[in-house]
Amino acid sequence: MQPTPIFLDLLAVFILPVLLAIFTYINPAIGFTLRITAFAYWVELAAATNLLWPILSGQEEKLIINEYFVVDRLAAFFLVITSLVMAAALTHAQYLFDHEDSGDHGVLKLARLRIFYVFINLFFLSMCAVFISNNLGCLWMGIEATTLFSAPLVYFERSKNALEATWKYLIICSVGIALALLGTIFLFAASQHGHLAEGTLNLTSLVEQASKLNYPLMRLGFIFCLLGYGTKAGIFPLHSWLPDAHSEAPAPASAILSGALLNTALFGLWRVTQIVIASHGHHLIIRMVLVMGVITVLAASLFLIRQHGLKRMWAYSSVENVGLMVVAIGLGSAPLFLLQAINHSLVKVSLFLLSGNIVHAGGSKRLFSIHGVIKSCPVWGFLLTLATLAITGAPPFGTFLSKLSILAALAKQGSWLLVSVLLFATSLAFVAISVHIGRVLFGAPRAGFKPFYPLQTSAMPALLLVCSFVMSLVIYPAFWSFIK
Amino acid sequence: MHLDTFTVLAISSAISAILMLGTNHLRINLFFYCVHTLAIALETAWIAQRFHDTNLYWIAFFIILLKVIAIPKYLQWVMTKIDVESDVEPFIAAPLAMTIGVGMLGLSYLLSLQFSSLWTEVDSRMGAMAAISVFFTGVLLMLSRKIAVSQIIGFLVLENGIYLFALTQTHGMPLIIEMGLLLELLAIVMLSGLIVFRIKKSFEHIDVSRLTELRE
Repeated sequence: MQPTPIFLDLLAVFILPVLLAIFTYINPAIGFTLRITAFAYWVELAAATNLLWPILSGQEEKLIINEYFVVDRLAAFFLVITSLVMAAALTHAQYLFDHEDSGDHGVLKLARLRIFYVFINLFFLSMCAVFISNNLGCLWMGIEATTLFSAPLVYFERSKNALEATWKYLIICSVGIALALLGTIFLFAASQHGHLAEGTLNLTSLVEQASKLNYPLMRLGFIFCLLGYGTKAGIFPLHSWLPDAHSEAPAPASAILSGALLNTALFGLWRVTQIVIASHGHHLIIRMVLVMGVITVLAASLFLIRQHGLKRMWAYSSVENVGLMVVAIGLGSAPLFLLQAINHSLVKVSLFLLSGNIVHAGGSKRLFSIHGVIKSCPVWGFLLTLATLAITGAPPFGTFLSKLSILAALAKQGSWLLVSVLLFATSLAFVAISVHIGRVLFGAPRAGFKPFYPLQTSAMPALLLVCSFVMSLVIYPAFWSFIK
Repeated sequence: MHLDTFTVLAISSAISAILMLGTNHLRINLFFYCVHTLAIALETAWIAQRFHDTNLYWIAFFIILLKVIAIPKYLQWVMTKIDVESDVEPFIAAPLAMTIGVGMLGLSYLLSLQFSSLWTEVDSRMGAMAAISVFFTGVLLMLSRKIAVSQIIGFLVLENGIYLFALTQTHGMPLIIEMGLLLELLAIVMLSGLIVFRIKKSFEHIDVSRLTELRE
């Protein structure tokens, strides 16, 4: 097949992380790597936005690269969001890692940082592969690769806890993804045993000919994919790796795990759900997705009541938001899923970066030993207040809009039980998070709390919060029309 | 029942997996893993010659190269390095685990009756039965054992079950997917082997059931 010009452009965009990874590996001056990587991801963001603009603005439906890779509108948005998350987290990372060196062995830190930066580039590449793949097999391989490339990021601290978190992450997610593979095989078998000309894993043809698939096999395949990708996304009974990995990874990595990786897994789930929705007689399965999403939200908000770690709390809040996204997926609404994913990513990255500052300056991850942040460092305290309001879904931030839209769409379907449970759970999460953060913000300032680069380290969280605010102003009418 | 090569190979892979449940000695476990994977590789080759599919020959070749030779050698090296011979006090004692494994085989037979046979001349449901049984055996291995190396072996068996299912129920997946799958499996095993080293160094044991620091 003749490569289209657009394919070459796209290749140029994706070659950048590869070059960065190689450069990081051979370059001994890690300080330069920190700066060039941060800069490169802003370039990446600009290039990706520029290249994908026809799709983002709706002039073109999709961009077909070849049989295996297609960029549709949802994928284009997710690519841009992932680039933004990477750029913000890595820009913040230079200040955080710069300041970290006190008391550490220089050589060891150099090696750790080098590994971190090599893998973070590969991690980004694997996430992009998931978004653009148009083949269930490629999708599966991409998601599996994200696990492999992000495990070294979780192990960055080299502590016992980090080791435990990495082991759990690797084993639980590998088994989960193995189940998704079984699901993929069932879907392949469904296409072979159905009324199709031949077996296929191509997503476009699977969705187009969904009604011709062998129904029992497809149902089985979907359930296994739900379990598998659900493990990776942190759906309730399968979320146990998520709080560990998010709290033990360094702040920029936690931000990327929460703001980009969870989206990737949910995107996989979205693709598979599309096949089921396109077939007939799917109501029971879709109902199951909705119920699972609502249970996830409820469970996460119950877990949020009793929390001891700052970053652990945000991890559970991510589980809550994943639950909402699963509900949006179950509703089969791409705009709702995207809206919730964008808003969650923006605010959660901001929160993880701020929490990284606070944990680093205070020297403790435990909620009870952090207090008086608003006096110790007013800028961080102010931003933390705003970001907390944003993540709990308070106006005037984009998350308010996305949660409201999901509730409205669910109510429109007449699922009043689910709506009321969801309302109860999100209110509970709001109260729980507010109480915990109230303790962190107020009270006597902690002795030995040393804010570092207060202004530079506030820039990225503030920028993302502004983006979230803008999201609530700009997107509103366009998105509302989708669910009317 | 008429026994053909297809059925014999599938069932022998299932039985050698169940035999792994019968001992806590890791080197014997690895030996049975090799036998079990070899049976699967031969099954792949058999289907390749039966349906004249050259891609499957390549897959069989790579399975022997990676799963039968490279991965067990690597795990053996890891075990020598960290000086571990057998699994201490599994949650389910070996004889009981093996009995459950045999029970699972029966259950798998009942489950396999739900599938329609793919070919007219050979009953592919026997393949489904073996695959489901291998899958259950892998799950049982992961659940009943405590140390990190056994968990890796359990995961490998589980993955073999999934592969066998794909092989016997779908004429084999597209070649590029299969290759990617093998590579990823290799990467997982390499990475988790490295983590096992670190666990041994930091905790001075590799009993993952004692890694409970991060619970609230």
